[in-house]
Amino acid sequence: MAKIKIEVKQFFRDQKNSFFRFLRLVKKEFRLVRTDPWNLLIALVLPPAIIALLSTMESQKIEFSPLPVAIVSNDSNSYVNPNNFTNLAIDNYTKPYINAVVKSFYLFPKAIYNASKFPYSMELARRQLLNAEIKCIIVIPVDFTEMLANGLPGLIECVPDSSRITDIQKNLNAVYDSIKIFTNENNLTPQIRLAPFTPFSIPEDYDEDFSSTLVLVIPLMVYGIANVLTILIIVKEKPIARLLLTPVKRSEILLAKYLTFSAILFVQELGIILAAVFGGLFIRGTIINLFIAVYTLAYSGLSVGIFISAASKTKTEANQLFLASFVVIILLSGSFVPIENMPIYLQAISYVLPLSHGGPMISAILSKGASVFGFHFYMLLAVSLVLNILTFIVFLRRRYEV
Amino acid sequence: MRKIEEQNSNEVVVDVQNLNVSFGEAHIIHDVSFQVKKGEIIGLFGISGAGKTTIIRVLTCQIKSKNWTGKVLVTDLTPEKKKNHQKILSRIGYVPQLELLNLYFELSPLINIETFASNYGMKKEEAQKVAEELFTILDIAEDTWTNALKKLSGGEKKRVSMAIGLIHSPDVLFLDEPTTGVDANKRYDILNYLKKLNRRLGTTMFVITHDLEAALVCDKTAILREGKLLAFDTPQNLIQTLPSKGLLARLTIEDLTEEMIEIIQEYEHCEKISRVGVSEVEIFLNNFEKNLNYFIDYLLEKNIKIVSMSRDVANFRRFFQILIQEQEEMERKEEKEKENIGRERREGRAIEDEREIEENNAANE
Ligand SMILES: Nc1ncnc2c1ncn2[C@@H]1O[C@H](COP(=O)(O)OP(=O)(O)OP(=O)(O)O)[C@@H](O)[C@H]1O
Ligand SMILES: [Mg+2]
Repeated sequence: MAKIKIEVKQFFRDQKNSFFRFLRLVKKEFRLVRTDPWNLLIALVLPPAIIALLSTMESQKIEFSPLPVAIVSNDSNSYVNPNNFTNLAIDNYTKPYINAVVKSFYLFPKAIYNASKFPYSMELARRQLLNAEIKCIIVIPVDFTEMLANGLPGLIECVPDSSRITDIQKNLNAVYDSIKIFTNENNLTPQIRLAPFTPFSIPEDYDEDFSSTLVLVIPLMVYGIANVLTILIIVKEKPIARLLLTPVKRSEILLAKYLTFSAILFVQELGIILAAVFGGLFIRGTIINLFIAVYTLAYSGLSVGIFISAASKTKTEANQLFLASFVVIILLSGSFVPIENMPIYLQAISYVLPLSHGGPMISAILSKGASVFGFHFYMLLAVSLVLNILTFIVFLRRRYEV
Repeated sequence: MRKIEEQNSNEVVVDVQNLNVSFGEAHIIHDVSFQVKKGEIIGLFGISGAGKTTIIRVLTCQIKSKNWTGKVLVTDLTPEKKKNHQKILSRIGYVPQLELLNLYFELSPLINIETFASNYGMKKEEAQKVAEELFTILDIAEDTWTNALKKLSGGEKKRVSMAIGLIHSPDVLFLDEPTTGVDANKRYDILNYLKKLNRRLGTTMFVITHDLEAALVCDKTAILREGKLLAFDTPQNLIQTLPSKGLLARLTIEDLTEEMIEIIQEYEHCEKISRVGVSEVEIFLNNFEKNLNYFIDYLLEKNIKIVSMSRDVANFRRFFQILIQEQEEMERKEEKEKENIGRERREGRAIEDEREIEENNAANE
């Protein structure tokens, strides 16, 4: 009996010891965590910061900014008066409709063209759409007034920016608002119809889901992979310290890294594009344009990656910097919240982030057939170049000790 | 041309005069001067923090010239001028302390060699040829040449690292603690390889170490303490400066105590005594041959029982210890004098400190 008592006592003593040992281990863990404040900062501050960021975007959304559109009027069909058989070219309803657009809270007519007088109107409007100056072309057809005057349903055609699939419906809804105002003010029973005319839609013999998914995925993947590929290439190479005790120059070491990884990315982008084409991606633009765009974006990912690598002291630091920057770059890229809806200071930041340009650039080539050499391309090049210069400065000053 | 150079064994490869190094307020190196001649192995000894690495870093262009003063020439070029750096670096080799940080572990020894050799403008075949020679001298087995370096043993990695340091036939090879972290037997191996390379290739070597055994292979030794050069000469010459030219008596004494050592020290011809074991002491006498017998009489008189006795010549280790000890004693004396001056002021503070310690102890309990 006494023996059992001792054993039980011993058992509890062991448990107690084990518990205190465990507590001390926990304490040690906290001490270790504290030695890396950067890690803690990312873990504790980043998530609330991201949510706060999003909340400022949401609040901004209520202050809706009107959709920039161009109106192209073809309305010029003659109207034959059944009483005296006079032939009149009329466009009586065009002006009231334009007024409705002006009045609409959701629309902002950036350009108004009279196509019956000026034959290149549609071409000009289309160019504006490609450059993302406007989000939608509203086309008033040839027989608009004639149909309405004869009590027939009038048609309004729409060419929305289809590069961001999620926005198409939003654009059409805004146009519909102008139609509502027009029918109310002109006492027309709702006989006017919206006819979404999407010259930028994906042809039937291509896989629509695949193509519209890739428009979103390609920029993210290209940027992300180039970034991940390069974030460690400087921090993890310890023998650089010893290399520097040979007649080598720091700039040579760095250039060699740029060259190597640019070459790897070249092959990678070829692979991505080949796989996408064989998988059934619809590319309205040329493949060369697409390749240049994708490669430029990848290069910007490499530029950010090498910069992170040159600026971080340890591998952990590089990984954390990568994570933090990646989250911010994606959040502010405009794929989640349209850049126009962000507060102005966030817009300014997003302006210099690679994905904010890479995404629209690639989708414009894929869905609108745009040329790569536009604003986004030059912006991307400029951002990469600035990063490259910064990387050189940081790397030349980096401390190396054998 | 090359031949004339080789004949002139007095050619100075490294010349350091009045080197001072400071980082901000910290004055690390004080007025250090020495010369390294072609073909010599120089050992720079000193306990941790003495400034050995700092000196090498000046010589290898790693410290900005604003942090140091003095005349420094490495292969007749001064690292003070930035435009000399590449030239100097192309003429020197460096074997750093830690292999883990300084070799490409995923690559093979040959590829490692090739990577470093190309920075000296050497072609692949050329580097390969020299590497094979060096690997043979260094006994690196041929079947490991193309394996990933991480599969080699610590000693083998060290030897590969030495081969890299020598690949471009440098005028001088710097080695930072080549024997630290290597087990006792391998240490001697490494030292032997250094000697072998020095003899076969005639490479001048500058070794920093706190491994006093390394003096065995050094032509000259320099001893550094707290940034000051205390001695610079051949080990033999340095030992000769000891009393009786380094002759000493090693005694094993029964039940050796500190009191006994004090008694021995009181003997009029005893220059120095150091305890070297539980019951062993080494004693330097002035006029050793003459005074040894009288000394033994003195011990018998004082009732100190000698178990055994031998005569010996001091080794470098002993010289180093004595030199450092003397230096420390001198400094302690100086400090005491300084302390006497400022005592009053500090006494109040000391009492405060004591109270604090007491309070802390109480809190801990
Ligand atoms: N960049 C620096 N800034 C300030 N102090 C430094 C700097 N580099 C070295 N020191 C100081 O100089 C002293 C000598 O350092 P050094 O590395 O030369 O010693 P060492 O003799 O090589 O020691 P060890 O045997 O431990 O390698 C040390 O006290 C160190 O703290
Ligand atoms: Mg050192």
